[in-house]
Formats: sequence, structure tokens, C-alpha cells
Amino acid sequence: MGKILENFSKQVIAEYGVAVPKSAVAHTPEEAREKGEKLGFPVVLKALVPVGKRGKAGAIKFAHNGEEAESLTRELLGMTVRHFPVEKVLVEEKIAIAQEWYLSITVDKGKQAPVIIASLEGGVDVEELSREKPEKVCTRHVDPLFELAEYEAKEIWAGLGLSGKPLTLATQALVRLFRVFSEKDATLLEINPLVLTESGEVMAAASVMSVDDSAMYRHPELSNMVQLGSERAWRPLTDLEKEMVEVNEADPYRGTARYTEMDGGNIGFLCGGGGGSLLSFDAIISFGGKPANYSEVGGNPPERKIYGITKGILSKPGVKGLFVAHNITNNTQVDIMAKGVVQALKDLGKDPATFPVVVREAGVNDEVAREIFTAAGIEYYGDDATITEAAKRIVARVQAFEAGEGGN
Amino acid sequence: MSILLDKNSRIAIQGITGREAAMVTKHSLDYGTTILAGVTPGKEGQDVHGVPVYDTLKKAVQVHGVNTAVVYVPPAFVYDAVLEGIACGIKLILIATENVPQGDALKFLARAKQAGVQVIGPNSVGMITPKDRVKVGAIGGDKVERCFAPGRVGVISRSGGMTAETSWMVKRAGYGVSTSVSIGGDALIGTTISDLLKLYQADSETEAVVTFSEPGTSFEEDAADLIQAGQFSKPLFSFVAGRFTESMPEGTVFGHAGAMIAGGAGKPSQKMVKLKSAGAHVLDRFDDLMPLLKEVLK
Repeated sequence: MGKILENFSKQVIAEYGVAVPKSAVAHTPEEAREKGEKLGFPVVLKALVPVGKRGKAGAIKFAHNGEEAESLTRELLGMTVRHFPVEKVLVEEKIAIAQEWYLSITVDKGKQAPVIIASLEGGVDVEELSREKPEKVCTRHVDPLFELAEYEAKEIWAGLGLSGKPLTLATQALVRLFRVFSEKDATLLEINPLVLTESGEVMAAASVMSVDDSAMYRHPELSNMVQLGSERAWRPLTDLEKEMVEVNEADPYRGTARYTEMDGGNIGFLCGGGGGSLLSFDAIISFGGKPANYSEVGGNPPERKIYGITKGILSKPGVKGLFVAHNITNNTQVDIMAKGVVQALKDLGKDPATFPVVVREAGVNDEVAREIFTAAGIEYYGDDATITEAAKRIVARVQAFEAGEGGN
Repeated sequence: MSILLDKNSRIAIQGITGREAAMVTKHSLDYGTTILAGVTPGKEGQDVHGVPVYDTLKKAVQVHGVNTAVVYVPPAFVYDAVLEGIACGIKLILIATENVPQGDALKFLARAKQAGVQVIGPNSVGMITPKDRVKVGAIGGDKVERCFAPGRVGVISRSGGMTAETSWMVKRAGYGVSTSVSIGGDALIGTTISDLLKLYQADSETEAVVTFSEPGTSFEEDAADLIQAGQFSKPLFSFVAGRFTESMPEGTVFGHAGAMIAGGAGKPSQKMVKLKSAGAHVLDRFDDLMPLLKEVLK
């Protein structure tokens, strides 16, 4: 899922006719002051980062005048909220709130249907609320073959206790938000809080939205809004990770190579297959080794991609060895893997006679792969060893290598 | 017997003229599997390695009595391909395509359920019944026998690649497989581990089942419940990969899309505890499968 920042998600839901507070984005304290003056004080200042629970993290502030707007924005721009440095601030009119409600729409993977969670006690942690006061939370699944019917939305709010004009407005808002969810291929749309203003309006005061990466091809209108690479990371991408995204994107339709940097570690990790890579990583750790990165290649990538990602893996400081492993492949040509890996080692001046490299690659064209790896002096296994056995070898060799270094 | 696939399977490939589908067709034919027909709109009259191509699945069904469809079309066309299969009365549809939009999967899985159609995948590398030399999908590549020997162990894997590796382990231990199934790496899939365990339970030629799992989803927890309820009583050997992900920050995705841990659910360690307490043989190391199979199956 790709996360969408709040200013953009509010823009999207406003297009579907759901009321949102007036707002503007500021990149500097001066800009925040200027935008605040235009909106009229007091204003809310929110750090624009793709993570939730910003209130708890102190990333939402209230400014009553221009000076406060400047100083508080300066404070926000110096913050890092759950690994994300704050680069922009949302300046928003402060709404006079009568009631705060909670609403989220997501997919229940187990039941294979969209699910709406709603409560009249908003602005809180809904997981906590459903543990402590489950009767205050309504959970309702929606038939995936139909849109949300108005009566279903009405039943949700009426069941929670709304009536009169607020019931009508909340029903209308929910039907529209559900349309946003399904038409934009969202994986999550959370409005917390959905508010009833003192003037009797229903408004989305805060929103969190993620969309399905796999459906982005049919949403060019969202392409500038989605945080690239946000779907697989818990923090912004490192420089090396960004380089590896480029290596992967250079041949977007041929194979995949993903790279995630670990904190520390000394074993360069180049593995293939989703499940095989998980197994390999667990195995290295179980023998006392420390991978420097997680990577995953698959879908028969070209030599250039293997070469690029291997160079990336080896260029991380502190890497003292390389483990290359795959499950027995169904379609990935392991001779191509061999060519890319051997070339990268050569170009970086890593001689397998001294620098530990252990390979377990079996599958398509592995006779050729065996020749290439063996000729380069690499410790190679095909289907004569298991992934776990090979993992044990790289851990032992890197430990021996480090002990040797220490002795020099 | 076996499950899902046997010599009575009458197979067609949707999107057969694509690069990968054509290669898979060749490998399947070389292995001895009969592929009756292929479908690619606008290419009727052509053939792929001797397999006739039709514009519509409907015609392929009329001419060849197809009952099993394999979907190899690009992600944007999977939804329509599955609906076409359902409308033509196909009873078993395997979706090989990866990166299918979630909203589309929700809809076609609901339609398939209503129509009583068994869907494997999306994002499945295939399935195979070695005894009858029938395989669908890329599973086994060009050297099917390296990993797949006929036998009496069922294999279920959430990872495509590990379907072959797991079956290879079974073979190394001196056994073979009845049917091996790659169920797909996504969280939204048509046939879960529990669904297959019920089929293996009813299959007189399957003596035991091995599962390869990953973080995320409740498939393993559900399987444990199924065993507890007495609906699966054969020996079950389970490996759950990705224990290291538990020490990573929440929301990180390693491996397949289904392998996301959210809200504390779907952790490998919890899956292992639950399976163990239900009576499954839970593997600490994947290689333990070989000695354990020998010990339990004798």
C-alpha cells in the first residue's frame, strides 16, 4: 500500500462531496504564518508525515497568532515523527467541534470483504476503545459485489445512537467516503475524528489514507500524491535503498530486486524468492550471523539488475562476506545470477579466495551456473545442499574471516 | 486419487500467447501434461507449441470440454478472465498472475464462491500431481522431476519457489508427493491451507501433509483450529519462515504481500505455538523435515 499525505487525502475526499476544514501547506515558519493569517487564527498545525497517531507524538499544535504559528512550525519542522523527518506542515482552520466520532474503512482479509468500523466516541485510540467498550463500536462488513447502500450506512449510525439531522449528514458522508474507498482502490481510509461542528455540519477533521500499489495503473490522478516506496518501509528510504530502487526500475518489466538495509550486520544478503529469502535470513540468524541487509530477487531478472544489486549490497560499509541463495528455481535462470554476481565481485575488487562468498543456487541452467561460480573460486552449492546448510557455511566463513582480520 | 488435479483434468491456459505462458506450455507438454487449448483474444487459429488458440474460453470449452483454467493474463485483465471462467462453468481456476488489484480480487473471489468454483491464487506458481504427470503453472520449470516424485505426501506452500524446494525435501527424505499446491503469496486468495487440508483428509492416497508458511494472515491459526475440531487427522508438518520479522518495526513487509504483520496478528511464533498445541509437527529448522518425516511415516 502506498500512503497518501493528509493534505492530498482531504483533497480527494472533498472531491467526493465530504466537508473538510480549509487548509494550506507550509514549508517554512514564515509561510505558516502567512497561511494562518489568510485562514484566520486560531489554526491547527499538523506535521505532514505518512504515519498515524501524530497527536500522541506531539506533532499536532495549535497557534493563536502569527508569532505562535512561526515558532510552533519551526518546532515541528525540527521533529522526526516515528522515523519520518517533518518537511511540511498542514495549516488548518480550527473547527468548533460539538462531537467527535470515529470512522474507518478497510478490508477484512479473513472474511474477504470491506469492513466499516464506526463509533460516536472519536478522537481516541479505537483499538483501546473496542477492548474497553465494545458496545460503543460498530463493525459492519459490506458485500464486495455491491456498493454500500444508503440504508446500511444509516443503520450503522442509527444503531450507535444518532438521530435527526446529524444522522442524515453522517449517512451521506459515510456513503461518499465508501465510494472514495472503492473507486480509488484504497486499502485504508480512516477519519478520526469525523466531527459534528457546533454549526451542525459533519466534517472530516483528520484523515489517513493508503492505496493499493497494484491498482495505481488505473489512478494517474493519484500518482503525485502517493509516497513512493512507502509501502514496504517503516522509515524513509536510505540513499543506498533509493539507488537500489533505481536499479530495479531500470528494467521494470523483467524480474524484481528489492533491497532493505538493516542496522549494522556484516553478511551481504542476496537471496531469491519471497519464502526462500525469509528462510535464509532466519537460518543465518539461527547460526549467530548478522545480515547487513535483506534483499529479494525473483522473476528471472536480467544480469544488469543482479549486477547492480550485488554491487549495492557489497558497498554497504562493514560487509565482510556475501551469501547468495535461492530456493530451487522454477523460472529464474541461475546462470544469469552467476554472471551478475561474479562481475560485481570482480569490479569491486573482492577476491573470493579471501573475501567469503557462499552460493546456493539450483534450478534453471544450474550446470552453467556451477561452472561460472566455481571458475571464480566461489564456494558453490546446487541441489547437493540445502539452504540451511549453506547458511551455516557463510556464518562460519565470515566469523573466521573476521577472526583473521582481528589477528592482523 | 490426488487432490484437484489428475488425469481427468482438461486444461486451458488463458493468455497462452504471452512470453511466460508459452514457456510454461512448452514445459508442461514436455512433462507429459495435456494442455487442450489456449485463449488470447484476436489470435484464434494460431497455436502455441501445437496447442490451439481461441478468442473465447467459451469456444475452448465447447470444443475440448475444458474443466480447468489457468490464468496468465496481465493484472488488469485477471478480473475479466476469472469471470469468463466462472461463466463458462469451469470448476477449477488457477491464477498465476501477480500484483492483482485487491479490489478486483475481492469481487472475483466473491463471485467464485457464489458459483462454487475453486480458485487457487492469485500469485500461485502452480500445482502438480506427479503420479499422473499433470501440472499447471510454472511449477517445476523445465526439470520437473528434480523436485517432484510421485508419493503420498501433500505439500501446501504460501511461497511459489518453496513449493518446489519443500517437495524436493520430501523427495530427499525418500518420499514423494500426492499433489503439491502453491496457494499464492497474497493475503486475499481463493483457497487457504484449511481448504486444502480438508481435501487431503478425504484423499486416500495422501498420508501426511507438509506446509510452508510465512508471516501474516490467519491461515495457520485456522488450520490449527481445523485439527482441534477433528477435521484433519493425518500427520501435519509445518514450517513458518520469517521469525526475524518479529523484531522489525510493525508495518514492514518482507517477502510476499500477504506477509505483513499488523496489529500483532499473524506472527510466526504465535502460529507455531498454535499449530504445536493442535498436534502438528512444527519444524524449528526447515531441514528437520527430513528426519521427522522418516520418524513419523516410518
